[in-house]
Amino acid sequence: MAFDDPDTLEGRERRALETLVTRLADDQFVLAERYTEWQVRAPTLESDLALANNAQDELGHARLWYDVLEDIGLDEQDLVYERDPDDFRHSTLVERPFEEGDWADVVLRSYFYDAAEAVRLAALEDSAHPKIADRVGKIRSEEEYHLEHAQNWLERLADGESEGGDEDGHERLQNALDRLFPHALTLFEPVDPEREADIVELGLRDATLEELGEEWLSIVLPYLESLGLVVPVDIDEDDPEFTVTDDLLPDERGRDGTHTDAWYDLYDEFTHTYRELERSEPTKLMDTPQ
Amino acid sequence: MIWEVFRQEESGEYHTHCGNVHAPDREMAKQFAAIQHGRRKPTNSLWVVPKAEVGEIDADDVAFGGTTDKSYRWATTYRTTGEDAREVVESEDEQATAEQQRGDA
Amino acid sequence: MDLDTVKERAGPREFSPADDLPEEYREAATRMIEFHANSEIMGAYLERPFIRHAPSIDRKLAFSAKVQDEIGHGQLLYRAAESLGIKTREEMLDDLANGDGKFLNCFHYPMDSWVETPMIAFFVDGAAMRRQATLRRTSWEPYAHAMDKVCFEEGFHVKHGEDILRTLMTGSRKEQKLTQAAFETWWPRIIQFFGPTDDQSTHHDFAAAVGLKQKSNDELRNAFLDQYIPKARKYGLEIPDEPRIRERDDGTYEVVEDDLDWDEFFAIAKNEYEPGVGQIEGRRAAQEAVEWVRETIDDDATTADGHAPQAAD
Repeated sequence: MAFDDPDTLEGRERRALETLVTRLADDQFVLAERYTEWQVRAPTLESDLALANNAQDELGHARLWYDVLEDIGLDEQDLVYERDPDDFRHSTLVERPFEEGDWADVVLRSYFYDAAEAVRLAALEDSAHPKIADRVGKIRSEEEYHLEHAQNWLERLADGESEGGDEDGHERLQNALDRLFPHALTLFEPVDPEREADIVELGLRDATLEELGEEWLSIVLPYLESLGLVVPVDIDEDDPEFTVTDDLLPDERGRDGTHTDAWYDLYDEFTHTYRELERSEPTKLMDTPQ
Repeated sequence: MIWEVFRQEESGEYHTHCGNVHAPDREMAKQFAAIQHGRRKPTNSLWVVPKAEVGEIDADDVAFGGTTDKSYRWATTYRTTGEDAREVVESEDEQATAEQQRGDA
Repeated sequence: MDLDTVKERAGPREFSPADDLPEEYREAATRMIEFHANSEIMGAYLERPFIRHAPSIDRKLAFSAKVQDEIGHGQLLYRAAESLGIKTREEMLDDLANGDGKFLNCFHYPMDSWVETPMIAFFVDGAAMRRQATLRRTSWEPYAHAMDKVCFEEGFHVKHGEDILRTLMTGSRKEQKLTQAAFETWWPRIIQFFGPTDDQSTHHDFAAAVGLKQKSNDELRNAFLDQYIPKARKYGLEIPDEPRIRERDDGTYEVVEDDLDWDEFFAIAKNEYEPGVGQIEGRRAAQEAVEWVRETIDDDATTADGHAPQAAD
């Protein structure tokens, strides 16, 4: 297979690679942007440090994925600072803005994402692209901490009693779940059905999006239920196979290039300095990943 | 009951773990520790802590410092011009040592 | 221990929570360390938006790591202050929110543009590090221990700030001009970082007598100018004409105090300067918005094996 020599890639292989990796990188990059909003705003100094750590990890992972595309001639300038916002392919789960103080949102969002990431990375471990397979290992070890972090918080908030009639942790989690679940489902939506088929056929990933989505649901549904949270889907006990239908999905799905308004604001903010200073090249500080 | 013992050799220094004692309560743990761990080595202060209260997370549980490149958080990554302030140089040296030790581990 | 004994014994890392120290010492040390801790938080508050605005992924990572470190310094310092037994961390954070907590003058100003970031991240942090290095010899042991860790990390911050300055000053003419303008705006504030000259400083005598403070405002300002004027020039920054700074024969500097705005400085010191008031208020709102989370975890707080924690000493 040609993935160890990017120069030999044909159009179909290139497109499959670009589709797969852009999605991975965009998810991590945009999620990290949102996480950093919690710096200096988290509930305690210690939790501030922990979430900042996860933000940097995700951003570091985005950096590793974007770098894979450098082999096919796409660099940070093309992929982040000068790409049209409509060409980003992240899930709408990661672009949603936070309400001030909505810690339930960030821990649940993190759980949805990290559980999906675990499933997705497992399917990339034996990728036909050697760089992808190699980076998965490093990234997975950091993602494990993220998932445990999210679950630790979920369990504490789900138990949380309120004082003086305020909305309690459990209610806040349920509200966040009702809001986020449709967006979380977009994690497994296709960018382009033909390319999605190529990704699996070419051995870049060893499971289809449908399979990944089913596995994810089989993990998150029982877990959230065990916390006493209600997931807004009907599951037939006798036929647990669950199909994501159109009416469960939000209007904007990210993967197909449709985004919510919040994304365009975010994009303007993170490209602001680059444009203001008329930069033509993002500053590199670290060595190219091996 | 087991108590972990931390010794500070001189005022101003850090308490570091030096051993433990078996004792039924805090008062006796302090008394025993004073003899068991303070009678030979220079000692300014001892802390005794019930072992059951010590939580542990180790390198099997978590990859301390992460597994991807974090060189952005080390002074050694940055280029500067001219002579740096003494304390900046000192900090950079300490960081270089820590980086080295992390690499060796 | 009475105050005379404290003054007699006052040396580096001399006093620890095991010592029975007079109220005056504990209050002065609390005031000083709380100010330091608050400054870490408010500095981080001011810098956070630039994680997003950073013009590359690497810069973004560095900025996030730096802001994270500052919160970590706050964590260390509040604990060092708390161990004096005067105020809890929660009380100090609440005071910072309600406008009673004091912090560094520079963090009361707004920061709007990327070209301003090295003014904090290089010059203010460089100034802070000059002072912090001397505080490794403060008489309150937990404070000195916190300084060991802070100084270990801080070299990254200063060099990160300097690297941003270097990039800007070797960049386009537009970048250089904007950076020079930002430097002119910030320079007087940076000089005021060290406060008024020693004869006008209110708390210095006592803090020095009990070994909390190791160097005077004047000595630190001198040490800063000595190191950082050449650095600024090296990167092509022009030192503004005001405040006038004269180099004496012995190599020390004299700053003409009348060239600086002390009304503004003292309004800031009372938390009455407008942009700073907004920044305090912004942080208060953020802290209040997550009060429910703290309540939730505090209610559950137990020790490892499930029994209620012991009251603090």
